[in-house]
Amino acid sequence: MQVVWANKNNNTHCPDKGEGMDNSELTQYFNPSLFNTKLKAKTKLDCLEELTTLFVENKDIRTGGIVLTMLRERELLGSTGIGKNVAIPHGRTTATMEVKIAFGRSETGIDFGSTDKKPVKLIFVVLAPPQDKDNKYLPILGKLVEVLSVLKNRNKLLKVEAFEEFIDVIEGK
Amino acid sequence: MLNKQLEFLVVLQDLDIMIQDIEDVKQIGFAVAGKEKLEEARRELTEKLGKPVLFNYENLRKRYKRAIVPVKDETCLGCFMRVPTVLITRGRSDQNVINCEGCGRILYWYE
Repeated sequence: MQVVWANKNNNTHCPDKGEGMDNSELTQYFNPSLFNTKLKAKTKLDCLEELTTLFVENKDIRTGGIVLTMLRERELLGSTGIGKNVAIPHGRTTATMEVKIAFGRSETGIDFGSTDKKPVKLIFVVLAPPQDKDNKYLPILGKLVEVLSVLKNRNKLLKVEAFEEFIDVIEGK
Repeated sequence: MLNKQLEFLVVLQDLDIMIQDIEDVKQIGFAVAGKEKLEEARRELTEKLGKPVLFNYENLRKRYKRAIVPVKDETCLGCFMRVPTVLITRGRSDQNVINCEGCGRILYWYE
Protein backbone atom coordinates (compact mmCIF):
# COMPACT_ATOMS: atom_id res chain seq x y z
CA MET A 1 0.00 0.00 0.00
CA GLN A 2 1.49 3.25 -1.05
CA VAL A 3 -1.46 5.54 -0.42
CA VAL A 4 -1.05 7.12 2.99
CA TRP A 5 -4.36 7.43 4.75
CA ALA A 6 -5.60 10.24 6.96
CA ASN A 7 -4.63 10.30 10.62
CA LYS A 8 -7.01 10.95 13.52
CA ASN A 9 -7.15 14.65 12.72
CA ASN A 10 -8.04 13.89 9.11
CA ASN A 11 -4.73 15.30 7.95
CA THR A 12 -3.68 13.38 4.92
CA HIS A 13 -0.20 12.87 3.63
CA CYS A 14 -1.08 12.16 0.05
CA PRO A 15 1.20 13.66 -2.55
CA ASP A 16 0.14 17.13 -3.60
CA LYS A 17 -1.56 16.10 -6.85
CA GLY A 18 -4.97 16.93 -5.40
CA GLU A 19 -3.95 20.36 -4.27
CA GLY A 20 -5.33 23.26 -6.21
CA MET A 21 -8.64 21.52 -6.67
CA ASP A 22 -11.43 22.00 -4.20
CA ASN A 23 -14.03 19.40 -3.33
CA SER A 24 -16.84 21.18 -5.14
CA GLU A 25 -14.81 21.19 -8.35
CA LEU A 26 -14.44 17.44 -8.04
CA THR A 27 -18.22 17.00 -7.92
CA GLN A 28 -18.68 18.25 -11.49
CA TYR A 29 -17.18 15.02 -12.83
CA PHE A 30 -19.92 12.87 -11.28
CA ASN A 31 -23.30 12.23 -12.78
CA PRO A 32 -26.48 10.56 -11.42
CA SER A 33 -26.39 8.22 -14.45
CA LEU A 34 -22.93 7.06 -13.42
CA PHE A 35 -23.99 6.14 -9.90
CA ASN A 36 -24.92 2.66 -8.72
CA THR A 37 -25.15 1.74 -5.04
CA LYS A 38 -26.24 -1.82 -5.75
CA LEU A 39 -23.58 -3.43 -7.87
CA LYS A 40 -24.38 -7.03 -8.78
CA ALA A 41 -20.83 -7.99 -9.72
CA LYS A 42 -18.99 -10.44 -7.51
CA THR A 43 -15.61 -10.30 -9.23
CA LYS A 44 -13.25 -7.48 -10.16
CA LEU A 45 -13.68 -8.01 -13.91
CA ASP A 46 -17.47 -8.18 -13.67
CA CYS A 47 -17.40 -5.02 -11.58
CA LEU A 48 -15.32 -3.17 -14.18
CA GLU A 49 -17.73 -4.36 -16.86
CA GLU A 50 -20.81 -3.30 -14.88
CA LEU A 51 -19.43 0.18 -14.32
CA THR A 52 -18.16 0.51 -17.90
CA THR A 53 -21.70 -0.22 -19.07
CA LEU A 54 -22.86 2.90 -17.23
CA PHE A 55 -20.56 5.02 -19.41
CA VAL A 56 -21.99 3.39 -22.55
CA GLU A 57 -25.58 3.87 -21.41
CA ASN A 58 -24.81 7.50 -20.58
CA LYS A 59 -23.29 7.88 -24.08
CA ASP A 60 -19.92 8.94 -22.68
CA ILE A 61 -18.32 6.23 -24.78
CA ARG A 62 -19.52 4.38 -27.88
CA THR A 63 -18.66 0.85 -26.91
CA GLY A 64 -17.41 -0.66 -23.70
CA GLY A 65 -14.81 -2.98 -25.21
CA ILE A 66 -11.97 -0.49 -25.58
CA VAL A 67 -12.42 1.00 -22.11
CA LEU A 68 -12.80 -2.38 -20.48
CA THR A 69 -9.57 -3.56 -22.12
CA MET A 70 -7.81 -0.42 -20.90
CA LEU A 71 -9.08 -0.92 -17.33
CA ARG A 72 -8.06 -4.60 -17.34
CA GLU A 73 -4.61 -3.67 -18.59
CA ARG A 74 -4.34 -1.04 -15.89
CA GLU A 75 -4.92 -3.77 -13.33
CA LEU A 76 -1.94 -5.66 -14.82
CA LEU A 77 0.22 -2.77 -13.74
CA GLY A 78 -0.91 -3.14 -10.14
CA SER A 79 -4.24 -3.32 -8.38
CA THR A 80 -6.19 -0.10 -8.17
CA GLY A 81 -7.62 -1.39 -4.91
CA ILE A 82 -5.93 1.10 -2.60
CA GLY A 83 -7.07 -0.48 0.67
CA LYS A 84 -9.72 0.41 3.25
CA ASN A 85 -12.45 -1.09 1.00
CA VAL A 86 -11.69 1.40 -1.79
CA ALA A 87 -10.70 0.93 -5.44
CA ILE A 88 -10.10 3.61 -8.05
CA PRO A 89 -9.73 1.96 -11.47
CA HIS A 90 -8.57 4.69 -13.82
CA GLY A 91 -6.97 5.52 -17.11
CA ARG A 92 -6.75 7.78 -20.08
CA THR A 93 -8.55 6.51 -23.13
CA THR A 94 -8.97 7.67 -26.71
CA ALA A 95 -12.58 6.50 -26.42
CA THR A 96 -13.74 9.45 -24.32
CA MET A 97 -13.75 13.22 -24.81
CA GLU A 98 -14.17 14.34 -21.21
CA VAL A 99 -13.15 13.32 -17.71
CA LYS A 100 -15.94 11.26 -16.14
CA ILE A 101 -16.21 9.32 -12.90
CA ALA A 102 -18.56 6.42 -12.22
CA PHE A 103 -19.29 5.36 -8.67
CA GLY A 104 -20.34 1.89 -7.65
CA ARG A 105 -20.91 0.27 -4.29
CA SER A 106 -20.91 -3.40 -3.51
CA GLU A 107 -22.69 -4.53 -0.37
CA THR A 108 -20.74 -7.77 -0.05
CA GLY A 109 -17.39 -6.50 -1.25
CA ILE A 110 -15.23 -7.60 -4.18
CA ASP A 111 -11.74 -9.03 -4.16
CA PHE A 112 -9.64 -6.43 -5.99
CA GLY A 113 -6.31 -7.81 -4.88
CA SER A 114 -5.81 -4.82 -2.59
CA THR A 115 -2.66 -4.91 -0.53
CA ASP A 116 -4.61 -4.89 2.75
CA LYS A 117 -6.61 -7.89 1.39
CA LYS A 118 -9.87 -6.21 2.35
CA PRO A 119 -12.82 -6.63 -0.02
CA VAL A 120 -13.61 -3.50 -2.00
CA LYS A 121 -16.99 -1.89 -1.45
CA LEU A 122 -16.47 1.60 -2.86
CA ILE A 123 -15.39 1.75 -6.48
CA PHE A 124 -14.66 4.90 -8.47
CA VAL A 125 -13.88 4.45 -12.17
CA VAL A 126 -12.10 7.51 -13.54
CA LEU A 127 -11.86 7.95 -17.32
CA ALA A 128 -10.01 10.77 -19.01
CA PRO A 129 -9.19 11.63 -22.61
CA PRO A 130 -5.52 11.46 -23.68
CA GLN A 131 -5.21 15.24 -23.42
CA ASP A 132 -7.89 16.59 -21.15
CA LYS A 133 -8.63 20.28 -21.08
CA ASP A 134 -6.64 21.97 -18.28
CA ASN A 135 -4.99 18.61 -17.52
CA LYS A 136 -7.35 17.81 -14.66
CA TYR A 137 -6.88 14.05 -14.64
CA LEU A 138 -4.08 13.78 -12.08
CA PRO A 139 -5.46 16.44 -9.71
CA ILE A 140 -8.81 14.62 -9.84
CA LEU A 141 -7.17 11.30 -8.92
CA GLY A 142 -5.23 12.98 -6.14
CA LYS A 143 -8.29 14.76 -4.77
CA LEU A 144 -10.31 11.57 -4.84
CA VAL A 145 -7.63 9.73 -2.88
CA GLU A 146 -7.60 12.63 -0.41
CA VAL A 147 -11.41 12.56 0.09
CA LEU A 148 -11.42 8.79 0.45
CA SER A 149 -8.58 8.79 2.91
CA VAL A 150 -10.93 10.28 5.51
CA LEU A 151 -12.65 7.56 7.55
CA LYS A 152 -15.78 9.66 8.10
CA ASN A 153 -16.23 10.07 4.35
CA ARG A 154 -15.79 6.36 3.68
CA ASN A 155 -18.32 5.48 6.35
CA LYS A 156 -20.84 7.91 4.87
CA LEU A 157 -20.27 6.58 1.36
CA LEU A 158 -21.00 3.08 2.58
CA LYS A 159 -24.49 4.28 3.53
CA VAL A 160 -25.55 6.89 0.97
CA GLU A 161 -28.51 6.03 -1.23
CA ALA A 162 -29.31 9.22 -3.12
CA PHE A 163 -26.93 10.90 -5.54
CA GLU A 164 -27.40 14.24 -3.73
CA GLU A 165 -26.23 12.69 -0.45
CA PHE A 166 -23.24 11.26 -2.27
CA ILE A 167 -22.31 14.69 -3.67
CA ASP A 168 -22.60 16.19 -0.17
CA VAL A 169 -20.01 13.69 1.08
CA ILE A 170 -17.65 14.46 -1.82
CA GLU A 171 -18.08 18.17 -1.13
CA GLY A 172 -17.17 17.55 2.49
CA LYS A 173 -20.51 18.70 3.91
CA MET B 1 -19.35 -2.96 -34.76
CA LEU B 2 -15.94 -1.33 -34.63
CA ASN B 3 -13.36 -2.48 -37.16
CA LYS B 4 -11.02 -4.81 -35.26
CA GLN B 5 -7.87 -3.15 -36.55
CA LEU B 6 -9.16 0.27 -35.46
CA GLU B 7 -10.16 -1.15 -32.09
CA PHE B 8 -6.70 -2.68 -31.63
CA LEU B 9 -5.09 0.63 -32.61
CA VAL B 10 -7.12 2.57 -30.05
CA VAL B 11 -6.28 0.00 -27.37
CA LEU B 12 -2.60 0.27 -28.41
CA GLN B 13 -2.67 4.05 -28.05
CA ASP B 14 -4.36 3.74 -24.62
CA LEU B 15 -1.65 1.29 -23.60
CA ASP B 16 1.11 3.64 -24.80
CA ILE B 17 -0.45 6.49 -22.81
CA MET B 18 -0.66 4.25 -19.73
CA ILE B 19 3.03 3.36 -20.03
CA GLN B 20 3.88 7.09 -20.31
CA ASP B 21 1.70 7.94 -17.29
CA ILE B 22 3.25 5.37 -14.93
CA GLU B 23 5.43 7.78 -12.98
CA ASP B 24 2.63 10.33 -12.47
CA VAL B 25 0.20 7.70 -11.23
CA LYS B 26 2.88 6.26 -8.95
CA GLN B 27 3.35 9.70 -7.35
CA ILE B 28 -0.30 9.78 -6.32
CA GLY B 29 0.27 6.55 -4.45
CA PHE B 30 -1.07 3.79 -6.69
CA ALA B 31 0.80 0.51 -6.81
CA VAL B 32 2.60 0.19 -10.14
CA ALA B 33 4.69 -2.92 -10.26
CA GLY B 34 3.80 -4.59 -13.53
CA LYS B 35 5.32 -2.39 -16.23
CA GLU B 36 6.79 -5.45 -17.95
CA LYS B 37 3.30 -7.01 -18.08
CA LEU B 38 2.04 -3.93 -19.88
CA GLU B 39 4.92 -4.09 -22.32
CA GLU B 40 4.13 -7.76 -22.93
CA ALA B 41 0.46 -6.86 -23.53
CA ARG B 42 1.64 -4.21 -25.99
CA ARG B 43 3.80 -6.71 -27.85
CA GLU B 44 0.92 -9.19 -28.09
CA LEU B 45 -1.37 -6.45 -29.37
CA THR B 46 1.03 -5.35 -32.11
CA GLU B 47 1.07 -8.95 -33.39
CA LYS B 48 -2.65 -8.67 -34.04
CA LEU B 49 -2.19 -5.61 -36.22
CA GLY B 50 -1.43 -5.72 -39.93
CA LYS B 51 2.11 -4.53 -40.69
CA PRO B 52 1.08 -1.48 -42.77
CA VAL B 53 -1.40 -0.40 -40.08
CA LEU B 54 1.20 -0.74 -37.31
CA PHE B 55 3.85 1.01 -39.45
CA ASN B 56 1.40 3.88 -40.03
CA TYR B 57 0.65 4.13 -36.29
CA GLU B 58 4.31 4.07 -35.23
CA ASN B 59 5.24 6.71 -37.81
CA LEU B 60 2.43 8.99 -36.67
CA ARG B 61 3.49 8.49 -33.04
CA LYS B 62 6.97 9.72 -33.89
CA ARG B 63 5.52 12.77 -35.62
CA TYR B 64 2.74 13.69 -33.24
CA LYS B 65 2.07 13.18 -29.55
CA ARG B 66 -1.03 11.13 -30.42
CA ALA B 67 -1.44 9.07 -33.57
CA ILE B 68 -5.21 8.66 -33.19
CA VAL B 69 -7.46 11.66 -32.69
CA PRO B 70 -11.19 12.06 -32.30
CA VAL B 71 -13.53 13.59 -34.81
CA LYS B 72 -15.98 16.11 -33.42
CA ASP B 73 -18.56 18.02 -35.46
CA GLU B 74 -17.02 16.47 -38.57
CA THR B 75 -13.67 18.07 -37.72
CA CYS B 76 -10.36 16.34 -37.02
CA LEU B 77 -9.36 17.42 -33.51
CA GLY B 78 -5.69 16.95 -34.43
CA CYS B 79 -5.49 19.68 -37.08
CA PHE B 80 -9.02 21.12 -36.93
CA MET B 81 -9.55 20.51 -40.64
CA ARG B 82 -13.03 19.54 -41.73
CA VAL B 83 -13.28 15.89 -42.69
CA PRO B 84 -14.68 15.41 -46.23
CA THR B 85 -18.19 13.93 -46.37
CA VAL B 86 -17.02 10.83 -48.18
CA LEU B 87 -14.59 10.04 -45.35
CA ILE B 88 -17.24 10.75 -42.72
CA THR B 89 -19.51 8.15 -44.30
CA ARG B 90 -16.68 5.63 -44.48
CA GLY B 91 -15.45 6.46 -40.98
CA ARG B 92 -18.87 6.24 -39.38
CA SER B 93 -19.41 2.83 -40.92
CA ASP B 94 -16.41 1.73 -38.85
CA GLN B 95 -15.21 -0.55 -41.61
CA ASN B 96 -11.98 1.27 -42.32
CA VAL B 97 -9.00 2.83 -40.66
CA ILE B 98 -9.21 6.40 -41.97
CA ASN B 99 -6.41 8.96 -41.95
CA CYS B 100 -7.10 12.69 -41.84
CA GLU B 101 -6.43 14.28 -45.22
CA GLY B 102 -4.95 17.33 -43.46
CA CYS B 103 -2.53 15.91 -40.90
CA GLY B 104 -2.52 12.19 -41.60
CA ARG B 105 -3.55 11.17 -38.10
CA ILE B 106 -5.86 8.20 -37.68
CA LEU B 107 -9.45 9.31 -37.06
CA TYR B 108 -11.72 7.93 -34.38
CA TRP B 109 -15.42 8.71 -34.26
CA TYR B 110 -16.11 8.65 -30.58
CA GLU B 111 -19.86 9.21 -30.92
